[in-house]
Amino acid sequence: MATPGHLEVRNVSKTYAVAGRPPVRVLSRVSLDVQPGAFVSLVGPSGCGKSTLLRLIIGLDREHGGDILIGGQPIEGPALSRGIVFQDHRLLPWLTLEDNIALALENARWAAADKAAAVRDHIALVGLAGFEKAYPHQLSGGMAQRAAIARGIVGRPEILLLDEPLGALDALTRVRLQAELQRIWRLERITMILVTHDVDEAIYLSDQVVVLAGSPGRVATEIEIGLPRPRDRASVEFVALKQRILAAMGEDAAQRPAA
Amino acid sequence: MSNTAEAIDGSALVGRAGGPARPARRPRPTQPLIGIILPAIIIALWQVAASLAWIDRVFLPAPLTVVTAFWKMLTKQNLALDFLASVKIVGQAFLYGSIAAVGLGIAAGLSRKVEQFFGPTFDTIRHIPGIAWLPLIVLWLGIGAPAKVLVIAKSVFFPVFLNTLQGIRNVEKNYIELASVLTLTRWQLVRKVVLPAAVPSIMVSLRYAAGLAWALVVVAEGLSGLEGLGFLIFRAQGLLLTDQLVVCMVIIGLVGFAIDRSMYLLQRRVLRWKQGYDG
Ligand SMILES: Nc1ncnc2c1ncn2[C@@H]1O[C@H](COP(=O)(O)OP(=O)(O)O)[C@@H](O)[C@H]1O
Ligand SMILES: [Mg+2]
Repeated sequence: MATPGHLEVRNVSKTYAVAGRPPVRVLSRVSLDVQPGAFVSLVGPSGCGKSTLLRLIIGLDREHGGDILIGGQPIEGPALSRGIVFQDHRLLPWLTLEDNIALALENARWAAADKAAAVRDHIALVGLAGFEKAYPHQLSGGMAQRAAIARGIVGRPEILLLDEPLGALDALTRVRLQAELQRIWRLERITMILVTHDVDEAIYLSDQVVVLAGSPGRVATEIEIGLPRPRDRASVEFVALKQRILAAMGEDAAQRPAA
Repeated sequence: MSNTAEAIDGSALVGRAGGPARPARRPRPTQPLIGIILPAIIIALWQVAASLAWIDRVFLPAPLTVVTAFWKMLTKQNLALDFLASVKIVGQAFLYGSIAAVGLGIAAGLSRKVEQFFGPTFDTIRHIPGIAWLPLIVLWLGIGAPAKVLVIAKSVFFPVFLNTLQGIRNVEKNYIELASVLTLTRWQLVRKVVLPAAVPSIMVSLRYAAGLAWALVVVAEGLSGLEGLGFLIFRAQGLLLTDQLVVCMVIIGLVGFAIDRSMYLLQRRVLRWKQGYDG
């Protein structure tokens, strides 16, 4: 019954206890169902718990209500079968690009030669061949984010979580990297869950867009994106979907008193 | 002592200003002439002051007299031996002090237990200046080198220890989180993340401590013992040999400068991964 790599988030709730203040409920009964190989985006207002949800899925934080299952099994802490790309690239400044990427394979049970080959291949995959020995400060923002993506997928995880990975980049670089991300997703067949503020980005990349509402974070709607790839951002269908998603996000904003 | 320390800092500043805005990957060519202008003016003024006898010759010998005195001390007296004695003390003290400090600093940084074990003792010892320890330690170890090595090693120890501890404690939480996501073991975390993150702070303290050790050896030798630059400088004062006194001062200044420059270059080399790192 359980498919390997099938991610189920069932009625997940999360409360943060802050000393000296009443506990804050950040997620309330969030459910998601992500099929292996799917591309799902999460959109929603700042502070609605998107990063929190990713932290729970990656296994950094295990105190929560509800269940998070992968292939039918509850997750137990971080594992190499799940990768994450943070908004800040989070490359270690004292390691070269290739050492940063190799760090993700430190505990992979592969032969050293396979590791070296994987590092080389993934540097090439994200278009950074020639920069193996560069330190992070010598890379541009876009290059650093590519490196972070390479680090996220080099261990061939089943699932890659992306927390606003392109949010800090300029528009042109972002569009270029969206296409790259799509290419990598199709090539590597990794399930990807992308948190983004950019509705265009979500529609362009995803099979499904999950709109979250805030305070406490919950699923507002889920919208299937059935358009054939590659998608034309100017097409009528694309724009119609964009309006639907923005409306779903706006309804939520309209229902709450202005902050 | 504080003058020497200031001289070290000041000269480093001059050396750094006017460098290229972009971080240079290779050591850049030695500073152009601008850094030489002020010393040249000072020497010129000094020469004028001496020639016109603005200040009594006994209190301010002319530059040339100082050069002659230097030559005499080098050939007829034991300047080289005294110089080596000082260098040896500083070298040993710096080595022992900093190795102990980095080792214990790492241990205390990684373990609250270790920190709590040493904390109260260290905090008390730290507040008694190294020089205040010297009289007691001289009673134990005699006026030879070991007492001075011990006292200077103590002065080297604390800044390096505290910076190592801080460096380890201040590792960005984000990096620890990353290590956890990558399923690094505790040892891998220490080796790949925590220690490298602490290196900048350790390097800064090593550079500072090296300068401090050099400044202190002069004081320690002045207070006890019968050799070393510090001994010479105080003896010269007692005998009103101002030319020899100035020779010692110049040597102390130049060596301090050289120590700081070398530490700076070492720091650059070790921290070449750091963005725009410039000391
Ligand atoms: N460690 C924490 N302790 C307390 N509150 C937290 C913590 N982390 C996040 N929060 C709060 O939880 C809410 C959701 O945060 P986050 O998941 O980062 O939102 P998003 O990624 O959607 O912008 C925010 O209000 C934030 O202040
Ligand atoms: Mg977030």
